[in-house]
Amino acid sequence: MKLLIEAIGFGIATGAVIALGAVGFSVQFGISNVLNITYGSMMTLAAFVGYAFLQLNVNVWIVMAITSAVIGVASVVFNRILLEPLKRRGTSFVGIIIATVSAAIVLQYAIVVFVGATAHSFGEQSGRTLTVLDLVFTTSQVIIICTTVALMVGFHLLLTRTKIGRAMRATSTNRTVARACGIRTERIIDFTWLLSGAMCGAAGVALAITTVSFDFTLGSTFLIYMIAAAVLGGIGQPYGAMVGGLVVGIASQVAGAYWSPAYQDVIAFVILIIMLLVRPRGLFSAGAVTRRLANT
Amino acid sequence: MKARQGSGYREVAPARARRRRIVAPIAAALPIVGLGIGGALPAGASARPHAGGTINVGVIGPMTGPAAEIGTLMSAACASGIHVVNAAGGALGNKLSCDLIDDTGDPADAVPNVTRALATASNLKMTVGLESNTAATTIPLVNNAQIPMFSTNGLVAFDKTTDRYFWRTTPADNQNGAAFAVWAVKEGYKRAAMIFENNIGDQGNEPGVVQGIDHLGGKISINVTIPGDAASYSSVVERVIASHPQVLIAEADPQSAATFFSEYKQLNHGHVPPIVTGTDSLTPDYLSAMEKVLGKSYVTKDISLVGSHIDPGSVAYRAYKAALYASPTVKNPALVLGVGVISSIYDGIVVMSLAMDMAHSTTGSVYNADIEKVTSASPGAVVVHTYAQGLAALKRHKAIDYVGVEGQITFDKYHNSPGNFSASAFNADGSPRSLGVIAGSEVQKLLG
Repeated sequence: MKLLIEAIGFGIATGAVIALGAVGFSVQFGISNVLNITYGSMMTLAAFVGYAFLQLNVNVWIVMAITSAVIGVASVVFNRILLEPLKRRGTSFVGIIIATVSAAIVLQYAIVVFVGATAHSFGEQSGRTLTVLDLVFTTSQVIIICTTVALMVGFHLLLTRTKIGRAMRATSTNRTVARACGIRTERIIDFTWLLSGAMCGAAGVALAITTVSFDFTLGSTFLIYMIAAAVLGGIGQPYGAMVGGLVVGIASQVAGAYWSPAYQDVIAFVILIIMLLVRPRGLFSAGAVTRRLANT
Repeated sequence: MKARQGSGYREVAPARARRRRIVAPIAAALPIVGLGIGGALPAGASARPHAGGTINVGVIGPMTGPAAEIGTLMSAACASGIHVVNAAGGALGNKLSCDLIDDTGDPADAVPNVTRALATASNLKMTVGLESNTAATTIPLVNNAQIPMFSTNGLVAFDKTTDRYFWRTTPADNQNGAAFAVWAVKEGYKRAAMIFENNIGDQGNEPGVVQGIDHLGGKISINVTIPGDAASYSSVVERVIASHPQVLIAEADPQSAATFFSEYKQLNHGHVPPIVTGTDSLTPDYLSAMEKVLGKSYVTKDISLVGSHIDPGSVAYRAYKAALYASPTVKNPALVLGVGVISSIYDGIVVMSLAMDMAHSTTGSVYNADIEKVTSASPGAVVVHTYAQGLAALKRHKAIDYVGVEGQITFDKYHNSPGNFSASAFNADGSPRSLGVIAGSEVQKLLG
């Protein structure tokens, strides 16, 4: 039983990192309707930007905040320069995915050109180990979990309780109608990319802290888990992405504790497939959420 | 490709290397065309270069991707090998040049890349590298092209290969694993935890460790296989800690190792038992990653790196060292010196060049048979330790026995010469220091 509780604790810590990225990815996809594969390379970029600031002896959590801002702005620029022109030209949904895949590869290898293919390290940033009822966390894990929860709640409140949140949802549903209603959709899209990009930046730094050592493949390695978490939770649903991240994280750690760790990811994805067979639109299905949002 | 005048060294420029990766899907369509060309005109059958020409040495290894550091080490060893051959006038009067062929460390990507290189590279007469991750797919291609190769791979499958052009002076991975076990027991540890990443290179060590520890009266406290580059290994780490090991026999890439041992330290109240790993971890990446997690003191005292033995006192080693330091393209010669597996590339280039000289031919299918002759300790053979010595003896029509950086080379009928093993540790600057030697016979005995 102790092993199970510990594994759940480790899973929560791992899941929080995945969820941090998944929340941003899910909201970005849900509102802008772009399956942005460049998100992974942006996380890698964030890790290296964070590494650069860390060399200046800046506190790692301040580094996370600065990097979030940098990647947020970079995401807006990326959307403006590449994706919006493609959309205006009527590029299909799949065509835009391919464009983001291409951009991801270009960005990944641009990073290699500047920093090399070798591993880099944030060093030991985990801090003290805390034990609560057999759940073991490090200080950095606690901060990442709290950050993820705070951002998830913030996103949810933003979407459901604010004017700009309603504008984001309206833009997501039908950009033309939203514009006809007086919503400045370009600004709303920029704002969405800024926020989701900032989440991406935070996730990249959190990943680099967690894995201790990283290279140019960091983001692309973990993107699949974040997409899985976002899909599992229901695209566009911050809570869903959070829950999805936790499911993936806990499943992999419990599998590692009881079966061969070599298959911990396999088991996590088998669970994902089973859950999608049961609830094809994700745990927090769009229909249910739409109804709930309509009442707010 | 960017040619560097004078050094005889050709390097894949970064942008070109990236393009190779990017165009991989397109290149995947090329093997049929490439094989067709290779089948019609194997490199060995191409026109013999005139004296004064250039012979390309194909360095087949991961030049990009997560394992790119191995490619860097291979390139350095190649640079040193061609340096000594060129300094003595070249092979049959032809200068050697290193041609980096990026297999990306991925067997699927390796096939189109190597096929294309074999089909298009001019005067590609010898190859080196061909490490474990891609050996199963690249070695048959090179063998079919009739180009002799000195492989650094550790796959047990090549212990009894029938590939004529395959040569190996490094041990198979299971022998490496058994050497890990011997060293751990020699150091007084009888209870070992095994942690190996789930890739072909690292997994190959596992059977040897199990067999070795068992034969030496030790006990495996736990044997876990971990996925590479996971966000966390905490659950596995807890299981390893609970098994109370005295020593950790572990092989993983720097990123995975850093994550794993960072969590080990956190969850075991700051204590991490000594680690025994392979000399392929003797890299700046591994050192840097582990140093930031475990501290300089631990990394320099408690990590033993076991691999092919090289004798720093030998004439061949001194020649190898001098060549590494003299090669302008080698950035960290001290590091390269410590990796026994990599020195086999240097030895391989010297041996193949001497074989060309003996055969009076640069054609692979011709000089391949002479590779064994120039390393044979036959009666009357002049023992040589450098290319220049060997060339001089051959010019005097003497039989030669090249004793290289890894000592006497004795090929079996499958073209394998595993040699001895040694354990090393990191110096503070990342260079290796020798801890001791493990006789190859001791390891062979364990494996029956």
